[in-house]
Amino acid sequence: MSRQNSRLSRRKSISYAKWGYLFIAPFFIIYAIFTLYPQLLTIYNSFFENYRSGLRQVGPTYVGFENYVKLFTPDKTGSIDILKYTWNTIVLWVGGAIPQITIALLLAIFFTSYRLNIRGQQFFKTVIYMPNLIMASAFSMLFFTLFSTVGPVNDLLLNAGVIPEPYDFFAEKISVRGLIMLMNFLLWFGNTTILLMAGIMGIDQTLFDAAQIDGASSVQVFFRVTLPLLMPILIYTIITAMIGGLQMFDVPQILTNGGGTPNRTSMTLIMYLNNYLKTSKNYGMAGAISVIIFIITGILSLFVYRSLTRKED
Amino acid sequence: MKKALALLLALVMVLSLVACGDSATGTTEPKGDAPVVENPDGGEENPAVEEGKVFNIYAWNEEFKGFFEKYYTVPEGVTVNWIITPNDGGAYRNKLDEALLNQENVPADEKIDMFLLEVDHNIVQYANSEFTQDIQALGVTDFSNTYPYTVQAASDASGVVKGVSFQCCPAALIYRRSIAKDVLGTDDPAEVQALLDSWEKFNAVAADAKAKGYYMTASDAATYRVFSDNVTAPWVDEAGNLQFDAQIDAWKAQAKEFSDKGYTINTGIWDEPCTAQMFADGKTMCYFGPAWYFNFSMGNAQDPEKGCYGDWAITMGPQAHFWGGTWLMASASSDNPTMLADIMDTFINDEEVCTNLVANEAQFSNNQAVNAKFAADPEYGNDFLGGQNDVAVFVELAKNIKFENKTIYDQIINEQLQSNWREYCQGNVTEEEAMANFYKAINENYPEVVTP
Repeated sequence: MSRQNSRLSRRKSISYAKWGYLFIAPFFIIYAIFTLYPQLLTIYNSFFENYRSGLRQVGPTYVGFENYVKLFTPDKTGSIDILKYTWNTIVLWVGGAIPQITIALLLAIFFTSYRLNIRGQQFFKTVIYMPNLIMASAFSMLFFTLFSTVGPVNDLLLNAGVIPEPYDFFAEKISVRGLIMLMNFLLWFGNTTILLMAGIMGIDQTLFDAAQIDGASSVQVFFRVTLPLLMPILIYTIITAMIGGLQMFDVPQILTNGGGTPNRTSMTLIMYLNNYLKTSKNYGMAGAISVIIFIITGILSLFVYRSLTRKED
Repeated sequence: MKKALALLLALVMVLSLVACGDSATGTTEPKGDAPVVENPDGGEENPAVEEGKVFNIYAWNEEFKGFFEKYYTVPEGVTVNWIITPNDGGAYRNKLDEALLNQENVPADEKIDMFLLEVDHNIVQYANSEFTQDIQALGVTDFSNTYPYTVQAASDASGVVKGVSFQCCPAALIYRRSIAKDVLGTDDPAEVQALLDSWEKFNAVAADAKAKGYYMTASDAATYRVFSDNVTAPWVDEAGNLQFDAQIDAWKAQAKEFSDKGYTINTGIWDEPCTAQMFADGKTMCYFGPAWYFNFSMGNAQDPEKGCYGDWAITMGPQAHFWGGTWLMASASSDNPTMLADIMDTFINDEEVCTNLVANEAQFSNNQAVNAKFAADPEYGNDFLGGQNDVAVFVELAKNIKFENKTIYDQIINEQLQSNWREYCQGNVTEEEAMANFYKAINENYPEVVTP
């Protein structure tokens, strides 16, 4: 018996380890080439002065932390740009993410509820996922046209007598940010709904039945059964949404024509990065900004993870 | 275990090779846009004499493409490949610069044969570079009919000509006849000119127009080119410092005044609120621009249903100026030198083509003889301008063109000043904030420029 066991275990360890490593190898190789190496290269680049002026190349010259110092030097009006853009990015993300996750959670519960048993579910699921299939840039162009001072939204409001003269949606901080939040919400809530539905359907149905037999109201079921068991998926959703949110670029870039208007209040971190890359190919400054974004993402992810998992305990 | 390791290492090598191969092809910029072209001859016979089968042209809009397709007969067996990238925000130049710097690494059929440039792109920089070639050596030698500034602009420091322009671009005040009649009591170009020949008069008339419910201009930046073409110093001095000319300050003051008093609309000149004013129901009296502006960029005014074709006229306006123009530059890497020279020669010296450009396309050609012929022709009139002989006006205005004070920074600086100053005009930011944002944008695009 013992001889058989030892032989079995030996064979197991040999064969599985071999195939195991082989199967996970592609991921690590691709990760190393396409993620780790560029990441290290970015950090390396951030210590150099390296840009192009027209057809003339300047650098690369080693400058130490000069790029970082430049990033954190306040301008004449006393504000530090990178902090301002970090704040913009967070505001834009939170403003879109709160309705996105709330609505997605509600829809996911409706769609998975046996008691409601909504008809035409397939249709609705497809429809709410639709916006996600449109390219963000096309979606932004659409909104840009819709909300222009000579666009249909202004026409409607004028004809309905709501406003006396065309309202410039792109001149005010609130309306520009509002539009960006709305678009990000529309683009992503369908995707989140599907993810959360998968999470809810993964919960053992007998738990809901037991709760109902015990006389729990649907609100109680939601807070005592669904939410705690959904936590792992919810955390995953929030963290991935946050990383996506910190890298917000296409929607505000196209909506404001790259300017982050008004007064750069809708300029996100990646738009700032893009400003350094598009004409001057300034790998030094862009590298420094990337490193900062990386650190911010890390800190925020940790923070979100910690605060949500503590609640669970 | 060893075998597995060996396999893993082999996999790494293969993958990294694939990755390298990818990045190498990834940098051949024009590849994505280039259609696959069949080459039946294979280019094996006589590769030294045989010219390329693909002629690649880089451009930022369809303007020249239209004329090229109408008036130039492409040699048999050659495919013309247009790589068009929008100009806005420097996108076209970024793409072009990338491609030029990478010419060595692409096959002959993907090399740039000709690229288009405008004044804001700083043609001199390209003329002085190794990416352009001497067109006189290619056989384009007759510049006797062209406007001298167009040749000077495309020449390098030692006077070697690297390209030509197919148009000459003196700019004028383009006004709406019906509105001028209402506001000024006349739509006759000479009388309108007398009433608008200085900025004081122009600003005073703006108040009258406002009182009658009109806009003087459809964008706070409409007059920008008039001022910026009359500067006495370039944007950036020898030491790399940004400097403001009195003309630029004058524009800033005017833009603010016009915005505050409601004489104009706070929008860019290429934006919809501005172009929508060109329709018949628009309320704007004045636009500024050369021939290409009203024949290419005023499509709304030419709209058969909603437009107001014929309700326009041109005159010099408060200050003479010129704006833009498209130059055809000979790429050093061209494998079609004969065709390249032929195109350039056609668009400046072929009388028939130049005549067609004026007669059919309302262009102001870069051929003085052809222009003079139209200017003197009492029968000729531009229907869009209510039968006015625009060529005669432009012939006079062309005498004022001085091509000077250009820098490689102009495009971005002009764009950024207009958009950031607009925020101040709208009252969204203070003057200091607007200028701080303008300087930030310059520093991001051009780290070497020193801003105040």
